[in-house]
Amino acid sequence: MAISHNTIQQLGDYRDVQLQLAGREVALELYWQMLRLRRIEEALHEEYHPADEMRCPIHFCIGQEAVPSALSLLLNSDDFLFSHHRSHGYYFAKGAPIRELFAEIYGRKTGASGGLAGSQDISHPASHFYSGAILSGAVSIAAGAAFGFQLQKKSQISVAGFGEGATDEGAFWEAVNHAGAKKLPLLFVVENNRYATFSDQLKRQNADNISERVQAFGVRSTKIFGNDAPLVWKTLKGEIERLRDGDGPALVESYTYRWNSHVGPEDDGFNKYRPTEEMDFWKRNCPIRLLQEKLFEAGWIDEATIADQEKKISQEIAECFDFAKSSDFPEVSDWNALNFGCESPLADALLGDEDSTKFNPLQNEAKLAPY
Amino acid sequence: MEREISYAEAIREATDQAMGLSPDVIVLGQLVDTPSGIFGTTTGLAEKHGRERVQDYPVSENLMTAAALGASLTGLRPIICHQRLDFMLYSLDAITNWLALWRFKSNGKSSARVTIRAIVGKGWGQGPQHSKSLHSWFAHLPGLRVAMPATAFDAKGLLLESIFSEDPAIIIEGRGLFSMREHVPEAPYRVRFGKALIRQKGSDVTLVALGAMVPPAMRAADKLRLEGIHVEVVDPRTLSPLDRETILESVSKTRRLVVADPGWHSFGAASEIIATVSEELGRSLLNNPARVTHPDSHTPMSMTLEKAYYPDEAEISSAIRSAMK
Repeated sequence: MAISHNTIQQLGDYRDVQLQLAGREVALELYWQMLRLRRIEEALHEEYHPADEMRCPIHFCIGQEAVPSALSLLLNSDDFLFSHHRSHGYYFAKGAPIRELFAEIYGRKTGASGGLAGSQDISHPASHFYSGAILSGAVSIAAGAAFGFQLQKKSQISVAGFGEGATDEGAFWEAVNHAGAKKLPLLFVVENNRYATFSDQLKRQNADNISERVQAFGVRSTKIFGNDAPLVWKTLKGEIERLRDGDGPALVESYTYRWNSHVGPEDDGFNKYRPTEEMDFWKRNCPIRLLQEKLFEAGWIDEATIADQEKKISQEIAECFDFAKSSDFPEVSDWNALNFGCESPLADALLGDEDSTKFNPLQNEAKLAPY
Repeated sequence: MEREISYAEAIREATDQAMGLSPDVIVLGQLVDTPSGIFGTTTGLAEKHGRERVQDYPVSENLMTAAALGASLTGLRPIICHQRLDFMLYSLDAITNWLALWRFKSNGKSSARVTIRAIVGKGWGQGPQHSKSLHSWFAHLPGLRVAMPATAFDAKGLLLESIFSEDPAIIIEGRGLFSMREHVPEAPYRVRFGKALIRQKGSDVTLVALGAMVPPAMRAADKLRLEGIHVEVVDPRTLSPLDRETILESVSKTRRLVVADPGWHSFGAASEIIATVSEELGRSLLNNPARVTHPDSHTPMSMTLEKAYYPDEAEISSAIRSAMK
């Protein structure tokens, strides 16, 4: 049966996690990374109100830890990753410094974007991580990066991480068309969490079949149960390897679910856009819990190791909060300099300064032909 | 005799030289690799520099603009070409939400080195979807530079400057200017953004003329001299950044201002220039400032209406005579 949001729930309780897809070392690392991301998001979620010191919209990714954690193990530091407003998981996936994420959300000078962008527009250029809130905009930029790598015969790949909502956009299909036409080294990762804010995919699209549609453009695709972390890792690994061998582009549609509201810690359930049974299904099939069960069965982890890791994670989070809260706020500066660069070293090196006021205005304008 | 080439040839020469100077320079756009080559501005470049670096691109303007930004992050310096500015309006999201604020959003740690060439059609019934300039829209955006070269010399220098600088730029090219020839040095050179040029000195009235309005402004100024009116013609050359200083300096001398702007009347570049002068020198002006612009209407096709729509030399002259009263 083809996976779709409606068919997934018939699975009841998912029991198919196979540790051997990842092997011991990777399976453990996936677990620790997912746990770390979960705790980071929970801590931010918890601290948001009533302190009200994080004064920017945050789109939490609790429940969607598998893809970012898998990518964190698979991407090289010089690969590019572009994401949407639900950015923290992808920021994490690129190994960008978490304390700069916290400082950014707190609007501090030490933030990844100096407090200018916030959670939904954060970037960390040194880690080649970029995000933005306008749906699918970053997918198009990712296509351009892939195009740049291909043109320069570089070995890096470009990854676009987005939700199924972004696939409503024309810009998305323009990117799919170009990627297919040029065989770009571009990996599209759709985290299909069913809802664009409160809007069900099936209210907006003919069918839950993004993966099928992109194939017509020459983009191969795989759809998977996105809370099975070893499966997510194995699938992404296979596609990333093929991309590095010049066999692109590819799309992986990972079916998952956000536990929290669309934005912020407030409950948006009053919009009645998703049934309780659906949430129950996804919470029962939490990516961390599914993997943890298997790791226990295999005897690869125990309570003591988890407690030890939890302690390390708590310490890291406490340090990140300290760093953010003790950092200075940015000062009001030169607005022009924030928006325009004043140096142009390459132009300085290559171009001479010339000027001329000469102009003979007694010339006819070009007569336009029909074309 | 000094070397003269046309505006279109100057653009082609600048692009060719830039591609020779740096392997990072690429050209993207619909039909850039064909012999007609965007009205001669890219002709032969694909043959010379390869079809990878001079690429015909899908008819996806929004993607092309965003993709140029992505490509620039990998080290390239793309030039994207639009045969008519009207077609690039699909890319307003890429320009407004991404390109213009890329530097800002990254706190100066990343910049988008993208040059957008946008051609504005005029005449031969181009009509409402082949003739919009919209330079004022783009100049309204922080983080985006906007150039309006009026001469072959400036077309070459501003294009080279855009390609090799670190911020995105839109170059608005008047299609009517493409045939006009002028002295253009062969060696690559830069014309800096934010540096206006006094095209003609005069003491009676300042005439600020933008882009395609420069030739009729110059002709008007020439003829008015015979009437004893000495017009100082200022060509800002770039709208963002705008060289307010040169304009203010000129008006503080002449105390009269007329602005010729090849765009709509309201909320435009002319309004901004007049506002700047009014804020600084309002009390010292001898007469009300005036603007010569397109009417607040879309462009008609029929030739009689077209003639009525576009302000010409006579309209500029008449505005100046009124300013002198």
